[in-house]
Amino acid sequence: MVELVRANSLAGTGTRKVRWGRLVSRTVIYAALTAGGLAMIFPFLWMLSTSFQSAGALLVPPPQLIPSPIELGNYAEIASAFPLWRFLANSLGVAAVATVLQVATSAMAGYAFARLRFRGRDALFLLYIATLMVPLQVTILPLFVEMKYLGLVDSYGALVLPAIASAFGTFLLRQAFLGLPRELEEAAFMDGAGHLTVFRRIVLPLAMPAIATLAVFSFVASWNSFLWPLIIVNSPDLMTLPVGLSNLQGRYATAWNLLMAGSTVAVVPILIVYVIGQKYVIRGVTLSGLKG
Amino acid sequence: MRPVSRALAAIAATAIVVGACSGATSSPSASTDASPSGGAPSASAPAEQVTLTYFTFSAAPDHLADLDAIVQAFEQKNPNISIEVQTAAYTDYFTKLQTQVASGSAPDTFELNYENSVAYASSGALLDLTPLASADADFDPSVYYPKAYEVFQADGRQFGVPEQFSDVLLFYNKDLFDAADVDYPDASWTWEDERAAAEKLTDAANGVWGHFQPIQFFEFYKVLAQNGGSFFSADGTTSTFNDAKGVEAANWLIGKLDKTMPSDAFGPDQDSALFKSGKLAMWHTGIWLFPALADVPFAWDVSVEPGNVRKAHHFFANAVVASATTAHPNEAWAWLRFLTSSEEAVTVRVDASWELAAVADQSLFEPYLSQTPPDNRAAVFDALADIVTPPVIEQQSQMQDIVSQALEKARLGQLSVEEALNEAAAQVDALLQ
Repeated sequence: MVELVRANSLAGTGTRKVRWGRLVSRTVIYAALTAGGLAMIFPFLWMLSTSFQSAGALLVPPPQLIPSPIELGNYAEIASAFPLWRFLANSLGVAAVATVLQVATSAMAGYAFARLRFRGRDALFLLYIATLMVPLQVTILPLFVEMKYLGLVDSYGALVLPAIASAFGTFLLRQAFLGLPRELEEAAFMDGAGHLTVFRRIVLPLAMPAIATLAVFSFVASWNSFLWPLIIVNSPDLMTLPVGLSNLQGRYATAWNLLMAGSTVAVVPILIVYVIGQKYVIRGVTLSGLKG
Repeated sequence: MRPVSRALAAIAATAIVVGACSGATSSPSASTDASPSGGAPSASAPAEQVTLTYFTFSAAPDHLADLDAIVQAFEQKNPNISIEVQTAAYTDYFTKLQTQVASGSAPDTFELNYENSVAYASSGALLDLTPLASADADFDPSVYYPKAYEVFQADGRQFGVPEQFSDVLLFYNKDLFDAADVDYPDASWTWEDERAAAEKLTDAANGVWGHFQPIQFFEFYKVLAQNGGSFFSADGTTSTFNDAKGVEAANWLIGKLDKTMPSDAFGPDQDSALFKSGKLAMWHTGIWLFPALADVPFAWDVSVEPGNVRKAHHFFANAVVASATTAHPNEAWAWLRFLTSSEEAVTVRVDASWELAAVADQSLFEPYLSQTPPDNRAAVFDALADIVTPPVIEQQSQMQDIVSQALEKARLGQLSVEEALNEAAAQVDALLQ
């Protein structure tokens, strides 16, 4: 502000040019960001709008973004004609358990890779990180066979088990632990603390932001996961929300308004988690250079 | 740091609460999972309790109750067999099935569309039903519509029984025909008649279009047949769909665009929306849309599709099959037979307008045929006189994509029809090598 005032008072042609240049570049940047933002939010608005339309209104061209009349019945119908709450509870339960376990295993493994010295540590870490390159589609069949031998096909266990160890999480937390000052830990060791105490009392509290980031990532990943729950679960009682919703799609025609009402319900918990953890998600992306 | 630990505490609390709830409910479903072992045929031990799994894409979301009724009727007659139904949406069904089959956990019985049934049969995943059918004294294959039974044979083996079929007809809006003073379509129509009528019916000022026909693989092989062409050479080694007949067929699909056929109706359900709002005079679409059109505020009917050199109609058939690895082949056969040809199952299907069972006895369809609209429901069966099945190769979905993309390029004017078809033919030939 002070600078602006000074620039104004000086009012030289050179500084005016600079100010105009800045204004133009700002405008361009904001226009581009606004356009990008609108493009991102449009599908959400469309989903929301469709979820409030009657089946008949949806079919009248041209499509309307603002529904009239607003149809609330879709939500009532999807809650009664469809085990929405069951699916929602399954999704929440699986995501929550998977998140807690994944954070726990990642923190312990991350600590080991960051602070313990053992033969082949870096090679092992590299090998573990390399598994990030293998997509789920490739490992899904062996994973299925593994679950079959464990007798877990069509169970909550199979939904949670593959998610409890994560190369990404281990990597993220190892990097975070490496960034902590060693002196604190050395002081604790001097006072007679063991690794467990150092891990619990010093490393974990200091790395809370990274842990929160991982928690948000792993919750979102579990919540959105579709292929694995689709394949491993057969009973409707065990289906997570995305799999349950996919059953609303008919082969020839789909009640889009109902499907979108269900999808809206499915997005709400994610929005809540994201709003709470937004700061850490952004930090996590800059920290790791990876998007969950 | 405060809000984070609070958030974490909240997440942890939810985890504990929800985890406890789900833990409590998981035990019963886990215990039903174990499939009975031992392949003792039921003939020697009829009292043995057997659970068969049946995986289906056609039941959810609209016909779960109907399938349940069929299952109950079956279980009543066969108290030692219980059927466990698993469903998935059509788009996800084959992903899941493939994993299950490949990992040796295939469901005992499942549903396949025609194209996939050929692929699964040749890979050896399906139980050969021939010995079971011939050992079954009161089974007579003529209970099925003959062509429907035959298409699920390969190398002298019956690998599936026809469950249901659909075809595609020419739907038309009678009110628009009356307003334009054009005669209704009938069985004598050819492409030329359709074109002439469409020109008279198109009313650009009021947004009314003459006709709509999707431009994709499934329409193309049919119009190709209508034009007397064939998709592959007789020995199946090269593509012939890019010959003069093929080009003429593709031109019939594409040439209508923007003249008598709307080009903006290619989104999901857009054609449906256009017809329902009374802005489309003729529409090539499937009989599965009868229920969806029950309440439209205008008069409509159907006719067999116009041909060119000859008539040709789609025949979309689904089969039910048994897995080659099922431990209970006899029970599986009993279920497949009941599901497809018993009077109970056929009646449930007819009453629910759940596609059509592929059985020969027309009297069973009386309740279906007497429903109106459309008045000319009999066209559904008339169309069976000249059906074509889609060309099937091992890389089915790649071939379908290649042909659909070529037609898309021609539709958008990126390539001429000849160029697009030649390019597609070369790509499909490469798949055949």
